[in-house]
Amino acid sequence: MNAIEITGLYKQFPGKRMTKVDALKGLDLTIAAGEVFGFLGPNGAGKSTTIKLVMGLLRPTSGRAQIMGMDSNQAESRRHVGYLPENPAFYDYLSAEEYISFVGSQFKMEAALLAQRSEDVLKRLDLWDARKRPMRGYSKGMVQRVGLAQALVHDPDVYILDEPMSGLDPIGRALVKDIIFDLKARGKCVFFSTHITDDVEKVCDRVGVINKGELLVVENVETILQRGVQGYSVFVMNPDGAKEELFIEKAHLQAFIQQSVVNQQSIEKIEPRRKDMEAFFLEIVAQ
Amino acid sequence: MTTIIRITLKGIFRDRVFQGIMVTACAFLLIPVIASLSMRQVTELSLTLSLSLISFILLLLAVFLGGTSLWKDIERRYTFSVLGLPLSRQSYMIGRFGGTALFVLLAAAVLGVAAFAVVSYSSAIYPTDRPIVWSTMAICILFDALKYILLIAVAFLFSTVSTSFFLPVFGTIATFLAGGVTQQVFEFVNSPASKALSPLVKKLATILYYLLPNFGAFDLKVNAIYSLPLPFEGLLLTAAYFVVYVGLLLSAAATIFSRREMR
Amino acid sequence: MIRTVSTGIVSLLLYGILILPFTTYLKNKPFVEKLGYVPSVAALKSVAADHKELVAATLVLKVLMYFGGLVEKADNQVAVPPDYMSMSRLLHGAVKLDPYNMDAYYFAQGFLTWDVKQFKMANDLLDYGMKYRTWDWYLPFFAGFNSAYFLHDYKKAADYYKLAGELSGADLHKSLAGRYLQESGQTDLAITYLSTMAKIERNPALKKTYLIRLNAFKEVRRIEIARDRYRENHGKMPATVEEVVQGGLLTPVPRDPYGGTFYLEADGKVATTSKFAFSGVKGNSSIKSGEPNERH
Ligand SMILES: Nc1ncnc2c1ncn2[C@@H]1O[C@H](COP(=O)(O)OP(=O)(O)OP(=O)(O)O)[C@@H](O)[C@H]1O
Ligand SMILES: [Mg+2]
Repeated sequence: MNAIEITGLYKQFPGKRMTKVDALKGLDLTIAAGEVFGFLGPNGAGKSTTIKLVMGLLRPTSGRAQIMGMDSNQAESRRHVGYLPENPAFYDYLSAEEYISFVGSQFKMEAALLAQRSEDVLKRLDLWDARKRPMRGYSKGMVQRVGLAQALVHDPDVYILDEPMSGLDPIGRALVKDIIFDLKARGKCVFFSTHITDDVEKVCDRVGVINKGELLVVENVETILQRGVQGYSVFVMNPDGAKEELFIEKAHLQAFIQQSVVNQQSIEKIEPRRKDMEAFFLEIVAQ
Repeated sequence: MTTIIRITLKGIFRDRVFQGIMVTACAFLLIPVIASLSMRQVTELSLTLSLSLISFILLLLAVFLGGTSLWKDIERRYTFSVLGLPLSRQSYMIGRFGGTALFVLLAAAVLGVAAFAVVSYSSAIYPTDRPIVWSTMAICILFDALKYILLIAVAFLFSTVSTSFFLPVFGTIATFLAGGVTQQVFEFVNSPASKALSPLVKKLATILYYLLPNFGAFDLKVNAIYSLPLPFEGLLLTAAYFVVYVGLLLSAAATIFSRREMR
Repeated sequence: MIRTVSTGIVSLLLYGILILPFTTYLKNKPFVEKLGYVPSVAALKSVAADHKELVAATLVLKVLMYFGGLVEKADNQVAVPPDYMSMSRLLHGAVKLDPYNMDAYYFAQGFLTWDVKQFKMANDLLDYGMKYRTWDWYLPFFAGFNSAYFLHDYKKAADYYKLAGELSGADLHKSLAGRYLQESGQTDLAITYLSTMAKIERNPALKKTYLIRLNAFKEVRRIEIARDRYRENHGKMPATVEEVVQGGLLTPVPRDPYGGTFYLEADGKVATTSKFAFSGVKGNSSIKSGEPNERH
């Protein structure tokens, strides 16, 4: 069974003066269980709209979305999902600990397990010291961490995260990447949106690029990175001890290596030179 | 749903609403003083003032808690996080309503105890001709609370169709005022005095009479103040009316709310 | 910081300068203005929502405080004629809102009779109240007194007193129905009524008005007894109160607490120039011109 299945998803918003805004124009996308999927797109592309439709917060104009085979308009479809909204806000009169236990009880978690898991996630997200304070006094990044904690606490199989890194410091970003790696290792499905191509490159299995409500590409990260290799940077040491960096095209590498032996140059290091994810993204969006 | 009720109650308490009530309830201390101005009915006057004060506080609670509960959640984007949980819109809304209604009941109980203290104090100092019937007073306060719970349901219905708090708050106040006079208007329209009115107006008044909530039936103040016997059958009918009307309002609100988009 | 403090001080100063003329202005505003014109009862009823009893009580208290203030002024001999019609209007409005409000009936009875002489209006109001306050003996007691003393409708009075007797279970009212219901018993009737009223009254201002009137009637009763004794002794009616006093039958000399002078009418009935009211003293001249001075 696929974790998320989106078919012909179409969403129109009422715009100014009777006009309509097409936020999403017939999106088809399937995310397999155990897959980490990065959803890339510029501002206003339709990422959050897609996610809200999948979460049943918006109603599709046409088409449909399913989670674990259940239609998004059913509350039960969210039973196996940990959801982090974009710029999340939580009942600010509650403390992080109270909110986490509220979420746990909504997922019908057993009290002892909930206490254990709550402690785990709060510690992991570095909220342990602040756990008893009302969230009213939390910083932006702390609220984002609460958002991640409440998505993780019930250990679901599917994670839908809308810009999980936003508002976090570099340590926090690294932590989130770590967490996603962990989830991947444990066979969980993670579907997250982002603008930051670097994140995608590091953690995703697949990536989709969306712009102006249309899904432009869905591709394996591996393939993109492979396809992007244009040549190599070769660091050589000449017989006289001088060091040199040369750019060698992909097709000429073999010949160059042979030649270097002849020239008595020693090769210190060969690095593939490729168009990275950012270039890939910019290229696609620019089309 | 029970967790939503719990969270709602917690929110109301943490927003210091209860402390606000307690400050307002300080007015109870003035009641014996004002009531002693009466010539022939000190106890009756202190009952009048106590019951009116309770009504007034409950009205404020119903309008502001009821009218802003959903609006605040949407405005502050709490709905995204809460409705992302495996929780149906209906149970979320009913839970919010239940928590607010429970708080109003709680407030009514606490204020009722304060009123009890004030009235027994007044009647101890200036004994009455007529014995006070405490059970009537309790039932009067209970029905008052029911009336305001019904009003909360009205506020919720308004909240589900509106994106601002103006409609819920002012719509609720308007409904409250209109619901208090529908009986009078209806009786007038059906009396010979209204011959001059056009049939269209009469029809409209009649439609509104059946459509709007009828708050007149919940007002038992006169029974409590003057120890008049309670109309038992009428109370049963009123209670049934309460259940059915609140049920109608909530199912309409739930239907609308479950179709509503969280943008 | 210094700026805000100085602004605060200036504001306080201004407030101090303003507050005295402001309160004086409010104090001297005439009553009707103070009260505002009470809107129609129907309008009040709609706005009052579920606070009809409260609004009714507020109207009654307003009247009460206004009247209490005037009584105090009267004590200092500043005769201000009360605006009885506004008061009556307010009380009638009050019982429309809350037909059970005893204060309204009680107070209306207090001034509608002696002061305004609207006996019919008073009894209509009491009849309206009796429909609601079915347990209350005061209403028929008042109505009985009005019927007998002012309207001279003894049959009706007897009915009211009978009802009052049944409701109160006290023999007094039953005996009232029989004993005093004749022309000659009027002063006793008034004394009984006024003592009852004075006894149950808790408002000091009103209690005072009852006690003053009760004193006046006790003086009248004293003169009546002396007058009758004089007639027994001399075989004829005295022409003036002074005659009775000189006959040694009336010590101390009767004193009208309203500041008037007692005199005897042609038929021997005791009357006073004050008409049993403080403001009545001013009307002295008209009474001297021979106009019959009624006690009611
Ligand atoms: N409530 C709404 N009413 C009208 N238009 C909307 C609404 N919400 C979104 N849109 C429009 O839909 C389009 C997609 O918005 P969406 O929020 O999905 O973008 P996004 O990809 O999440 O962008 P970002 O990276 O800035 O978060 C935008 O053009 C936006 O203007
Ligand atoms: Mg977005």
